[in-house]
Amino acid sequence: MYAVVMTNSEMGLPPIPPDMEDPAALMLRIAQQQDRSALAALFGLFGPRVKSMMIKLGASDALAEDLVQETFLTVWRKAALYSNQRGAPSTWIFTIARNLRIDQLRRQSNKPYEDLEKVTLASDSPTGSMLVEQHQVVDRVTRALTTLSEDQREVVRLSFIQDMAHAQIAEHLGIPLGTVKSRLRLAYERLRPMLEDLQ
Amino acid sequence: MSIQHHPDIATLMSFSAGTLDHPYATVIATHLAMSEGGRETLRQIESIGGALLAEEPATAMSSGALNRLMDALGGEKIEVIPHDQRGGGSLPLPVQDYLPGGLEAVRWKWTGPGVATADLAWGDDGKSRLMLLRVAGGRRVPEHGHGGHELTLILQGAYRDRFGVFARGDIADHDEDVEHQPIAEPGEDCICLVAVDAKLTFRGRLMRALQPLFGI
Repeated sequence: MYAVVMTNSEMGLPPIPPDMEDPAALMLRIAQQQDRSALAALFGLFGPRVKSMMIKLGASDALAEDLVQETFLTVWRKAALYSNQRGAPSTWIFTIARNLRIDQLRRQSNKPYEDLEKVTLASDSPTGSMLVEQHQVVDRVTRALTTLSEDQREVVRLSFIQDMAHAQIAEHLGIPLGTVKSRLRLAYERLRPMLEDLQ
Repeated sequence: MSIQHHPDIATLMSFSAGTLDHPYATVIATHLAMSEGGRETLRQIESIGGALLAEEPATAMSSGALNRLMDALGGEKIEVIPHDQRGGGSLPLPVQDYLPGGLEAVRWKWTGPGVATADLAWGDDGKSRLMLLRVAGGRRVPEHGHGGHELTLILQGAYRDRFGVFARGDIADHDEDVEHQPIAEPGEDCICLVAVDAKLTFRGRLMRALQPLFGI
């Protein structure tokens, strides 16, 4: 049942174009050389996607732009803290944007996340895989997401992108709360071989 | 001792997505601060968010957006790696602000024989509560079902119920349909950090009568 790891060409998908900059390499240039052009390139890749996510949550165009600015200022400010233990750049950017949406759109404190980040930075050793491999890893997770059933994929998207709590998802889809949770658990079990491969 | 009881993976996914109410997010963050294995699992889950972000459609940024970002960089200092943030106390960082004097300084409210609670103020929205529960060694928590999702993290001591023994760092992640009757292990008080999204429903008639009085 588990999806197997396949290369892009095996799955009939185009390889990453050679002229597209690898986000992990960009991140490394920001972290090590404070390279502004690398930040600009990362902004070009992910800024419009963060904006899209914020607009889906009801942010106005202007607020969404502000949140994108804030996200990338945080990327810059915390670049020295970035290591491959934060996963791929897209993952790190997602968590920064998530913390901002908790604070600005849900109007709750994101302190549990900030505190946990400090504990992680102080306690955990970086994971073994090289930073530059991380882009391929996200690529694999992206492919793996396409192997989920439509039901599973929907609850995962509603949670991570639409920022809906489990009870809201249940109401939105007209299904029991327990079904929402079991779909998420099944989705995780299916993705797990890919996710563990990240380490 | 290593951690035996972990959160439901669906709860961790919700934490990673950022959709838990603050009391629940605080309990999960506190648990994860005590569990390196849990942090590993969270790292795996977080790449789901990364992959979904990477495949989001692009919404055009305004024409001046990049210049605005570049202008803002000037005054931004690059942060340095923090020193050990676990602090001097024995409590994990995410709960330290709620317990400035440590567990010794908590003002407990008697809620039953051998049982006490203390509400932790967090900017209550009326839907969920963050609280401490203290059960004296050998005492039992009245049998209860859950009006909603309940997260219980052991900070000190241990208790036993039909799911096994829960010790420091272990978390009990129960849905509304679960009923259980924890008994504190003999010895020191068992102290738990708890998030609940509705009033607990106690089954005993006496406890049901006491519930409105003590607000548990």
